[in-house]
Amino acid sequence: MSGDKAQREFVSEVEDILERMRDDIARLAEGVGAGAAADPRIVNGLFRSAHSLKGLSGMFGFDAMSELAHHLEDVLDGLRMGRSTLDHDGLSLFDEAVTLISSLVGKLDDDRARSDAEESIATLMERVDAWVAGPTESDGSRESEVDLPAAVLRALTEYEEHRLHENVAAGRNVFLADSDFEILSFEEGLSELNEAIQALGEPISTLPSPGESPDSQIRFSILLATTLDRDSLAEQLDLPAEQLHLVFEGEAQPAALTDAAATEATASEVEPRNEQTPADPGPGSEPSESSLKSISDTVRVDIRKLDELMNLVGELVIQRASIRKIAETLATEPATARVGAELEKVHRSLERKLADLQASVLDVRMVPLRQVFDKISRVARRLRVDLGKEVRLDIRGADTELDKLIVEDLVDPLMHVVRNAFDHAIEDPGERESCGKPVEGRVRIEAFQRGNDVVIQVSDDGRGIDADKVLERALERGLVTEGQELSPREILDLVFHPGISTREAVSTTSGRGVGMDVVRSNIAALGGIVTIESEPGRYTTISMTLPITLAIMQALIVGVGSQRFAIPLNSVRETLLVDPQEIQSSDGRELLNLRGEPLLLRRLSREFDIEPSDAGKLSAVVLGIGDSRMGLLVERLEGQQDAVIKPIQGPVSRVRGVAGATELGEQGAVLVLDVSALVEDALRGREAA
Amino acid sequence: MSGPAGTHDGTAEGATRWDALARAAARREAVEAGEVQHEYLAFRLGDVPYAIAVDGVREIVRMRPVTPVPRVPPEVSGVISLRGEIVQVVDLRRRLGMPEVEPSRSTRIIVLHGDVGEVSGVQVDGVTEVLRVVESDLRPPPSGESEFVSSICEREGRFVSVMNMQKVLDLGGS
Repeated sequence: MSGDKAQREFVSEVEDILERMRDDIARLAEGVGAGAAADPRIVNGLFRSAHSLKGLSGMFGFDAMSELAHHLEDVLDGLRMGRSTLDHDGLSLFDEAVTLISSLVGKLDDDRARSDAEESIATLMERVDAWVAGPTESDGSRESEVDLPAAVLRALTEYEEHRLHENVAAGRNVFLADSDFEILSFEEGLSELNEAIQALGEPISTLPSPGESPDSQIRFSILLATTLDRDSLAEQLDLPAEQLHLVFEGEAQPAALTDAAATEATASEVEPRNEQTPADPGPGSEPSESSLKSISDTVRVDIRKLDELMNLVGELVIQRASIRKIAETLATEPATARVGAELEKVHRSLERKLADLQASVLDVRMVPLRQVFDKISRVARRLRVDLGKEVRLDIRGADTELDKLIVEDLVDPLMHVVRNAFDHAIEDPGERESCGKPVEGRVRIEAFQRGNDVVIQVSDDGRGIDADKVLERALERGLVTEGQELSPREILDLVFHPGISTREAVSTTSGRGVGMDVVRSNIAALGGIVTIESEPGRYTTISMTLPITLAIMQALIVGVGSQRFAIPLNSVRETLLVDPQEIQSSDGRELLNLRGEPLLLRRLSREFDIEPSDAGKLSAVVLGIGDSRMGLLVERLEGQQDAVIKPIQGPVSRVRGVAGATELGEQGAVLVLDVSALVEDALRGREAA
Repeated sequence: MSGPAGTHDGTAEGATRWDALARAAARREAVEAGEVQHEYLAFRLGDVPYAIAVDGVREIVRMRPVTPVPRVPPEVSGVISLRGEIVQVVDLRRRLGMPEVEPSRSTRIIVLHGDVGEVSGVQVDGVTEVLRVVESDLRPPPSGESEFVSSICEREGRFVSVMNMQKVLDLGGS
């Protein structure tokens, strides 16, 4: 049992590392393709990943994997130090290694597959070794060209020295920048300065500087390379020019690739040099070691554990409701009124604390969409090449957070939609040109929060959806009948039917048989809804609206006959008291005049075949999913409750219109309505089953 | 002489007890001879005894409020909450086409493990005992017996129908 758990954690950690490595390799590949030198930051990142992989697989006794990682580490170290240069062969070796390890990780329990993979690892290692032994570029010592004090030169690590040479060879200016910092806050000051330097060039090393500074201050010298001259550097860094010492004068040249790469540097990247302290300066600090340390202040948690925690919190919330009831009962009896009032006070504070606890647990489950978007942009890069199309992918709102479980299940449908956009929506360059569009197509993914929902939109400026063709196909398939009046929106909605496609031909990229109908059902399974907008020849926008979390929700409790139901509050727009006489009938449908707009009504008693009571007045719960609205008629509104949705177990696997159930204290189980299914059925005029 | 026969000589009860002892001894011999022993949970609908394999049973709970569920076959009477787990309940009387009765103090819900972690509840009129049965006690169901009965087991002169729960829970078209 614990072995399983450890292995799960191992696999998930290795997958994370491989994910990062794939990313880095793809970024390196872009550079190599463009003829640029490998970005040292990326090589460092890869080196760190290989190092972690080695340690991790060694710890779990996967020796073959550990050995391969060790070889990779050697190769990357060589690249870092300039002992070898990166070429396409080298890159493809990395690619193979990552693929091999990821297939091995997937089959840890399969002994045969494992020994097969281990054999492949052995062959791959031989090739890695052969590649390393190949011709390497040696750079002669150019220390003499650099006007640096011997003490400084001695303090540089081998890697820093290599970076110094590289920059000198590239003809950049090298400066030693002195700066004073308050002792109490020098770490922040130093890292701010390093960041500023990142944007202008490359910080090579940070060294403590002896003496000269006032008591409460400490002075550091930063060795840096840049294409800027002294004056503009001083201005940009906001440092007096006399504190910048030119130690090597490069050739005057326009801003080079390093600068471009530098501006792309992400804040999350760990710069080991920032962590050097005066107590631990110079050669002793191994960059890879300090960066590994910084990872360890996060804790990996199995999402199932968070579910358990969430369940516990949910049960506490239910218990709290019972306490309130007791307090209320006590408070109404004169004899116990005082105890009751006190209990109520305690209850209120418990309620607040519970709300905080709930919010904290929820917060832990939240992850930014960035990881999904990164995955998609990687696939998009490959698609561009495979399809021979020029497409720009813009991503916005990658910091928007969603429940980890939702994010996980979002990858497939979202990927499908983006592939469709690349493959079918964006025209070939020639076709775009003849339509007077820019040759480069654009696909935009945008995520943002709206109330308790997160909306993800994928838009493209491609050929749009031809409503006539969709209608034609729907007629062929008998989904609509000749002469049936359909609004443009209803026609577009047909795209979500199986067998109706947004495209003419089937290609390898988007696959066969999986269409928008699958996307819609995947999203619906997450409690979300998909809508589509399009104008032929101009654009298509697909919007997915998802709840932020599935773990807990605010629910509106409604009653019909002797039964109760819970409705997720995030899809309730408003509630209205309705006099039955206000309800208008037209064409077999019931409508309500809602501020001048007709609102389609459905009676829950009829939907679910429940004996209604003679209630007289009814209540309409206005449900909204995306832009769709519908009024659900119920007999009673019984207030709001926090509810933890649970799946319904048993022989009947799915009930249309029911998303799950929740336990409400002594009332036992209460069914939670599946609002998107109810709204969808109402709008399509589907009758209750 | 404090044996069972000494107290109620020649009565029916005494006879069945002797009978039971003799059978128990025979069973012990069978077990020692290496025959496989099965455990069954015996329950009843009205006075009719039934049994199911104990391995499939997770727990037995008293009757509690059942929340009706719409759009399901009538055999599913609704769902119950088991410490936060929501589990469907199949009314076995309805499933077997027997007339319904009001739940009584002895009414129980037998909670079964599912195939893939899915749990189901089965409502019966009462749970009686756990039967230890060897292979030779079991015989095939007579023709004309309900499709849900997988074998018949003889107990104290009565026949107990051993049910195939998988078939009972297969409500089709779900």
